[in-house]
Amino acid sequence: MTLFPIEKARAAERDDDRVSLGGFIRKHPETVTAVLLVVICVVVAILNPDFLQPSSLIDIGRASVVTGLFALGVFVILAAGGIDVSFTAIAALTMYSITLLTTRYAPGLPMILVLVMAVGGGMLLGMFNGLLVYTFSVPAMIVTIGTQYLFRGILLAFVGTVWIMALPEQMLAFGRAPMLQFANSNGAVVTLPLYVLVLPAAAVLTWWILNRTLMGRAIFAMGGSARVAERLGYNLRTIHLFLFGFAGALAGLAGIIHVCSNRLANPFDLVGTEINVIAAVVLGGARITGGTGTVIGTLLGVLLVTVINNVLVMVGIPSTWQRFVVGAFILLAAAFFVVRQRRNRS
Amino acid sequence: MAEDSQTDHCFLQLKQIHKRFGGVHALRGVDLKIELGQAYHLLGENGCGKSTVIKVMSGAISPTEGEIILNGESFSALTPIQSLAAGIETVYQDLSLIPNLTVAENVALSEQLVHGEGRLVRRLDRNQLRVTASAALASVGLPATRAFLTSVVSDLPLAQRQLVAIARAIATKAKLVIMDEPTTSLTRREVENLIEVVARLRADNIAVLFVTHKLDECYRIGGHAIVFRDGECVAQGPLASYSKADIAELMTGRKIDAHRYRVGQPAGETLLSVERLTAAPSFFDVDFSLHKGEILGITGLADSGRNELALAISGVRPATSGSISVGGVAARIRYPSDAIRHGIGYVPENRLDEGLFLEKSILDNETALVVAKLANAWGIIDDGKGRAIAAEVAKDMRLNTTDIDMPVGSLSGGNQQRVLIGRWLTIEPKILLLHGPTVGVDVGSKDTIYRAIQVLAERGIGLIVISDDLPELLQNCDRILVMNGGRFVADLDASEATEEDIYHAMLASISETVQ
Repeated sequence: MTLFPIEKARAAERDDDRVSLGGFIRKHPETVTAVLLVVICVVVAILNPDFLQPSSLIDIGRASVVTGLFALGVFVILAAGGIDVSFTAIAALTMYSITLLTTRYAPGLPMILVLVMAVGGGMLLGMFNGLLVYTFSVPAMIVTIGTQYLFRGILLAFVGTVWIMALPEQMLAFGRAPMLQFANSNGAVVTLPLYVLVLPAAAVLTWWILNRTLMGRAIFAMGGSARVAERLGYNLRTIHLFLFGFAGALAGLAGIIHVCSNRLANPFDLVGTEINVIAAVVLGGARITGGTGTVIGTLLGVLLVTVINNVLVMVGIPSTWQRFVVGAFILLAAAFFVVRQRRNRS
Repeated sequence: MAEDSQTDHCFLQLKQIHKRFGGVHALRGVDLKIELGQAYHLLGENGCGKSTVIKVMSGAISPTEGEIILNGESFSALTPIQSLAAGIETVYQDLSLIPNLTVAENVALSEQLVHGEGRLVRRLDRNQLRVTASAALASVGLPATRAFLTSVVSDLPLAQRQLVAIARAIATKAKLVIMDEPTTSLTRREVENLIEVVARLRADNIAVLFVTHKLDECYRIGGHAIVFRDGECVAQGPLASYSKADIAELMTGRKIDAHRYRVGQPAGETLLSVERLTAAPSFFDVDFSLHKGEILGITGLADSGRNELALAISGVRPATSGSISVGGVAARIRYPSDAIRHGIGYVPENRLDEGLFLEKSILDNETALVVAKLANAWGIIDDGKGRAIAAEVAKDMRLNTTDIDMPVGSLSGGNQQRVLIGRWLTIEPKILLLHGPTVGVDVGSKDTIYRAIQVLAERGIGLIVISDDLPELLQNCDRILVMNGGRFVADLDASEATEEDIYHAMLASISETVQ
């Protein structure tokens, strides 16, 4: 019976943090991501002040662009209750085909058209996913596993397997164009490329679509309950086509940026990084079961994963440990939210 | 529309509506009149055509023959768009809310969707969203504050969700709101609020059509009764002119009186004794005992702790302190498997989600608890033994089918409930906890479930019935314990107590009853 007062005290404690911090975190799970990110950055900066050099910050910025674009697409699909594992294959197929086309047949094609083609190509492949998921009402997981193999198979069997090293000039220029330049402490000049701006632009667009258009609310409605959304008159076919088309377009864009920044089109690239991207989105607070999450959380998740992948080396943790750390964080975050939810229910 | 309602008071009229599904004649010449500002109660047993007639009104299905007159215009069938455009809104039993969207979005997004004729590539008018949602929420008595408008629906208690669903229905200028079993999962206090909302809707000249099993509430709301039996409308008229027994008789076609089912007497031997059981903050220091062959009723408001008490005894959510002993032996119940080992069976309130495997057969559902015992030395399940057990249970529980290979999902609510109770008989339980045993079950099936409960008590099983349905407790139990604020506040003899006694204990403020 001595248990009783302790239990009562605990319950009171629980009540207390439910109204303050707990409630806030439950509503905004991305705060956890932000805190983790800050903690890691501070720890790394203390252990190795080189981290604060413009060069390493710029590295992180550059490295997050492709993952970030992928992640926005994955987030939109997760919000609607689906999942996509084919986006890397979409990116690989479009980037390689378009680079090949441009190099071979239209070396003088303006960069803006190259980008439009990449976006358009990615969108078409994405819409193909959407059409399959909707028409056969097969889980998106199965469909996109299938199309990942399919798209990659088409790329390697019909388009090409050779690295393209000599990119057309306009693509190289796009990868080089500077936004800002800094002098590092050792005097070397480092450049923050202009294409880094694509990520915030895409993020703002995604945020606007999700929060300020009927389509955006329809996407969340479908993620909440597809059956109810349909009963209320939302056209699920349109939503599927838009959603997967949008994610595909972002993947296409990510692919071409990947080529321009690496100055190389490697058909074997990208595929295999899906889990990394999905991990970033989930770490950003989106539930894998759909209907939740925010754009800002997704970006934070991307930054977190990028920072882990890029800076652990700086504090002497071998790169082989990156996966371990990312995995541990995902499990910790998952456990944290499950515990919170359970407390809230009781 | 306004001029129509002046010249002809009737908003919607069904004339000689027939509906056949293949060989099934679901509606046989139904005549109905719905007038604005009135309340209607559509009553009938499961499968009598209630939901079919609602679907005819909402345009979800087309009648095989007959005429529908809507606002003075004649139709042979309505489309969902025609029905919605005329202001016929349905609040489904599952509420059809989108859990992850905000209250405002759930209430008012449909308006923008309909306005854009379903096109999604449009800007969201957030101002309009807020204005429409505020107005609709105010008219069902919910706060139209910013905090409430932006709270996520899945965070709301069920009663508020119910009101949000109604707010959505009236946000789009409804003329007729159809509510399918709206009070099934509400407590009395919440039902009171709903009744007020209905009065307000009627004052705004909106017609309300209830589909329900709960006669008491119908009388509270008043209005017209529409009674269905076997696809026919057997009565339509002011509710006040029918007694409960009349309606039960009209529904079932046979006479059912509200007699006391309880016949037996509990034996002296104590089966279960619970001492100072506590699970803060739900219930505290609960003491009671249950005798062999006794039927003990437990009731209280939804937040009284009665649900948590049931979950604690069954091990679903164990208590934090106190003791439980079964047959004089202390029992430590931390998981449902502990409870089962001590011979305690628990039939949950929500049989569809927590009790039954709907796609599986009656056989599989009945033998679920004893599967391990059916296996031979090699771990292979003896099908014949299982069939014998399931067939016996089916007979015991008087299922209306002998085909034990039928999926449970295809049975009526009453039969499903009997399958669930029957499953526990396979482990020869000492104690059975029945949580809301007749929720969502029609009058005829209630009768069979009550008889089954009495038979179980005769066999010496101790039964605890946790229920909101006071007549049910009075008719079936030996004693009724009333919970209020996490404690027992009354211990009543069911053969003498009245509903008023129970209400009094249930609703009294704690300080007044603790003495």
